[in-house]
Amino acid sequence: METTKEREQNQAGLSSAEREGVRQSQTTNENICQLLEMLDNPDAYTEQQIQDIINRDEDTRETYRLMVEAKRSSRHRQNQKPVDIDAAWQSFNQKLQPKQQGFGWMKIAASFIGVLLVSGIAFAAIHIVRQHQKQEAPQSEITENVTNPVTTLPADTLTNDTVTVQPVIYDNTPLEKMLPEIAAHYDVKVIFTNDEVRGLRFRFVWNPQQGIDQVISDLNQFERLTVTRMDNQITVE
Amino acid sequence: MLEQRILEQLFRRYYSKMIHLASVLLGDDEEAEDVVQDIFLRVADSDIAPKNDNYLLTTVRNACLNRIRQMQLHDKVKGLMPIEDEADLQPIDKRLERLEDIAAYVDEQLEEPHRSIFHLRFDEDLTVSEIARLLGLNPNTAYKYLMQSIQQIRHHFGKH
Repeated sequence: METTKEREQNQAGLSSAEREGVRQSQTTNENICQLLEMLDNPDAYTEQQIQDIINRDEDTRETYRLMVEAKRSSRHRQNQKPVDIDAAWQSFNQKLQPKQQGFGWMKIAASFIGVLLVSGIAFAAIHIVRQHQKQEAPQSEITENVTNPVTTLPADTLTNDTVTVQPVIYDNTPLEKMLPEIAAHYDVKVIFTNDEVRGLRFRFVWNPQQGIDQVISDLNQFERLTVTRMDNQITVE
Repeated sequence: MLEQRILEQLFRRYYSKMIHLASVLLGDDEEAEDVVQDIFLRVADSDIAPKNDNYLLTTVRNACLNRIRQMQLHDKVKGLMPIEDEADLQPIDKRLERLEDIAAYVDEQLEEPHRSIFHLRFDEDLTVSEIARLLGLNPNTAYKYLMQSIQQIRHHFGKH
């Protein structure tokens, strides 16, 4: 039977790490209790103290791990309500759209360059055929849109029998000037919900042949702008 | 870029499971949503659809663990998040089953007031002093009971 004195001597013969181990095994409960206390009020402890408490020994570490699992298990149980998948999909789609059209502005610009090129070629062809002597070159800003680049048009697209609908380029134009002009074409009213957006200036190419909803969708590519339509009224936020 | 129709199918099929896992790991619904939507944005960008939910769930877990890794230590312990990298060798389904088993064990095997203390601590996030006050116990007794419950569960489920 080991006496207290012998035990002390034996302990004295142990390395400091081993002695620490013996002490810790005797105080496991104390350590775990200290862990629980710390977890009740972590702000009262420094990072170092927290690390020391959790990593004091394998038992304490294991206890903390189990508490992590217990917490997860509680969340797992509490979190069984069904997800509204339609709402989630919608919200995701809103995130997805701007991304898919990540280069939306460039695409719009590119498509209009395409329009200008095609109409330029058509324009030139007409010139050759008719042997016109007209000297002035077509402006790149406002060009006769002889061919329609859009093969399938949205249902709300305005169709014109004439082929002289021109894309209009607004360059650095305040929204309060640009939008009413566009809206007038579609016979809709514009409401600005705050004055800040009125003064926003954009470079925007408007193709009057496009439907109002397409134009709104293009306008919504601008980050600072939210345009919505309700019947004959466009609201700008 | 993945076809919208396929993306929607994947989303409708796996979103709930993914969001559940993210919520369990992060304990924050908004963050969970963020993680899962980010993953679907990446899926939308890729050309090949993931074949099963294993890939998606593993991606969710990794993204969550990354977020946890970046948290401050104080926030980690407040939310009872792991403070060390987890060696997650077990499949996620098995992990979730284990969580289910722990919850069932608590409900079926812990006795009162241990069970109530456990629920108040982990479900309601009350501190042990608050629990003690609520149940009219000495705080030290409440600590002791909580500790006993944890030891009992540890003993039952064995070490990792």
